[in-house]
Amino acid sequence: MTKDSQIERCFLQLRQIHKRFGGVHALRGVDLTLELGEAYHLLGENGCGKSTVIKVMSGAIAPTEGEIILNGESFSALTPIQSLAAGIETVYQDLSLIPNLSVAENVALSEQLVHGEGRLARRLDRNQLRVTASAALATVGLPTTRTFLSTVVSDLPLAQRQLVAIARAIATKAKLVIMDEPTTSLTRREVENLIEVVARLRADNIAVLFVTHKLDECYRIGGHAVVFRDGECVAQGPLANYTKAEIAELMTGREIKSERYRTVGPRQEVLCTIHGLTAAPHFHDIDLSLRKGEILGVTGLADSGRNELALAIAGVRPAGSGTIVVDGDKASIRHPADAIRHGIGYVPENRLEEGLFLEKSILDNEIALVVADLANAWGVIDDGKGRAIAAKVAADMRLNTKDIDMPVGSLSGGNQQRVLIGRWLTIEPKLLLLHGPTVGVDVGSKDTIYRAIQVLAERGIGLIVISDDLPELLQNCDHILVMNSGRLVADLDAATATEEDIYHAMLASTSEIVQ
Amino acid sequence: MSLSIGKAEAAEPGAAERVSVGAFIRQYPETITAALLVLICVAVAVINPAFLQPSSLIDIGRASVVTGLFALGVFVILAAGGIDVSFTAIAALTMYSITLLTTRYAPGLPMVLVVAMAVGGGALLGMFNGLLVHNFGVPPMIVTIGTQYLFRGILLAFIGTVWIMALPEQMIAFGRAPLLQFANAKGTVITLPLYVLVLPVAAVLTWWILNRTLIGRAIFAMGGSARVAERLGYNLRTVHLFVFGFAGALAGLAGIIHVCSNRLANPFDLVGTEINVIAAVVLGGARITGGTGTVVGTLLGVLLVTVINNVLVMVGIPSTWQRFVVGTFILLAAAFFVVRQRRA
Repeated sequence: MTKDSQIERCFLQLRQIHKRFGGVHALRGVDLTLELGEAYHLLGENGCGKSTVIKVMSGAIAPTEGEIILNGESFSALTPIQSLAAGIETVYQDLSLIPNLSVAENVALSEQLVHGEGRLARRLDRNQLRVTASAALATVGLPTTRTFLSTVVSDLPLAQRQLVAIARAIATKAKLVIMDEPTTSLTRREVENLIEVVARLRADNIAVLFVTHKLDECYRIGGHAVVFRDGECVAQGPLANYTKAEIAELMTGREIKSERYRTVGPRQEVLCTIHGLTAAPHFHDIDLSLRKGEILGVTGLADSGRNELALAIAGVRPAGSGTIVVDGDKASIRHPADAIRHGIGYVPENRLEEGLFLEKSILDNEIALVVADLANAWGVIDDGKGRAIAAKVAADMRLNTKDIDMPVGSLSGGNQQRVLIGRWLTIEPKLLLLHGPTVGVDVGSKDTIYRAIQVLAERGIGLIVISDDLPELLQNCDHILVMNSGRLVADLDAATATEEDIYHAMLASTSEIVQ
Repeated sequence: MSLSIGKAEAAEPGAAERVSVGAFIRQYPETITAALLVLICVAVAVINPAFLQPSSLIDIGRASVVTGLFALGVFVILAAGGIDVSFTAIAALTMYSITLLTTRYAPGLPMVLVVAMAVGGGALLGMFNGLLVHNFGVPPMIVTIGTQYLFRGILLAFIGTVWIMALPEQMIAFGRAPLLQFANAKGTVITLPLYVLVLPVAAVLTWWILNRTLIGRAIFAMGGSARVAERLGYNLRTVHLFVFGFAGALAGLAGIIHVCSNRLANPFDLVGTEINVIAAVVLGGARITGGTGTVVGTLLGVLLVTVINNVLVMVGIPSTWQRFVVGTFILLAAAFFVVRQRRA
């Protein structure tokens, strides 16, 4: 290949891109080159800078330092319009489709909008709409019949919506299509189709950049691997040059702080056994047992069924079949209130939306579960008793304020999380489910939360921690259960397991599991 | 269309057919409105054949013009994901001010200009709503409750509270101009006024804008998901100004027609009927959450509400029951659509 043609093929180049958000150094000198007609897989753990680098490309955020070379032209930052005009299209995980418009409109309206430079007082060219939509839909392998064109997008299954979103990218004459975790919710056959679509895009000289966790699919699609770790691009090259194990190591390779928080081991008495728990299609035949004072980690990819398992035990989305025995009692959990009656507490992943009353005080948040017990026969709440309970919890959870009348919304993320965990202590739970206990919490607060978790275990409470923060599980748990495609595929001893072991189980393809 | 459904059911009354009928209704929820309308009309006609006389049909036609114009405006705003309760106040303010202005200062002003002023004035007031909604991000419900009071307050405090009974000639003429005129059996002359044509013209225009222009699709896009529409490059400011301005213009038009047909400008009129209008639009199949509905459905909803308000008396149901019936229909229709959606 001559030097000239190489420059021609080079579509987008990032040079020494840095991005700082306040004190956080999200990108630390990223160098990346994308060529037309090539497929790339952006790999890395959560929080490694993958989404930041995509936003730099799509113009959603401006880098702090560095140079972006797009079609041979140098920029210090792109605007969304510059990025779109150059043909960079991002298919976000939410797909950005308009649910109440037809397939044809979702695919091809943008073209007319761009053609009119955004002016809306124009006649809709319905023929053009149909022609453009049909061509783009044919490329992604969707039907081009009139019925399909006029189907409302919200009536389509998710896999087809995904393809419609890709078709829109094609209809706007994209040069680079960025797909954010496109296969997370697709079935095997739908993934096959997506892989064919990618091949067709590459044949049309379009570059495709995947953001993904699924190594298997990367290998099936082929192309280049781009591995990110802690805001740096640690490897870039043809996928064939790396084994899966090597990539997993590159992704996780940072110096892991191996300090274990785990203080004492579990007690002898079995607290809870779960047998054959199933909620199709999310998870099947889950068996596990938990002793008093034991900390059990559960992890897996976002679609592995781990979230649904937590919700089923908590009664938020009850399981279809299977048994849960708590302290010798067979528990029928159809509703969160059933779970609470059996002493099962659930600290949700999204504490802001599902857990806390942000405008209310620490006091009100802490006594939310026991407020009925605090009321006398007339329904009047005993304020003194409530304050005593809340103050004790605040002390137990080591909140950084003694003022229990402060609104929870004014606390830091770590303190909010401790308020939420603390609320469950008011009902003396037997079993606590902690879902992503340190999501969105800074490092210092993580430490306090981990210590609080250990204190709970010392009291004899059984804990199930659902998390994708692997170091967190290794540092805090007795055992780590790994879920993959709705099944438990590994039970690892947290004292001896490594991140690579967990990754291997998480990412193993379903066929390997069945064998 | 209902005929073809009937045939299909007769040929194969299996479960599969029922599903496809359900899908049809889901796609065209106004079928339900049409069915209710037909049902009521047939029932009323059987009990009291007088209903089928031209005079009562003409009454319904006349009565639905003002509600229909209001409803088209509300529908466009609902389609964009908003809501408006100030349109009656806009209509009252423009109709009274313009009648006053014309009577006092320009009694010879051509009717075309009177109508143009009403439309223009209504559009400006509506765009004021749109600006507040867009620039300050205040929910449209709150904005339009505020402007309803504001507009009505301006009217009653600064402009006038006295009825204007002596309208200028051209306005009376406009209200009287006949489209059809004939004598019934008793020899009374019955007139279908020319102004009823305004509603179908406005409906076709609204349909054309919504379905054949980019702004129309942008309205539905914003009603479907404002966040996504913005990300895709639709100018939400334009859409907000347009939908509220358009609804205001229709309200101004409705106001002036109201004056001409009643031969009276009463500043206390119109305000208070907005729930009736919103009820008609919702009965026409538009979802209050935005992004759905059709012009045909809206018109059917208007007819349904007008029929209920005008003819139940003919079958001996007291007029005090009208609200009860409309309320029941709204709840039944809403429950029906929700159940349908859950099954789908």
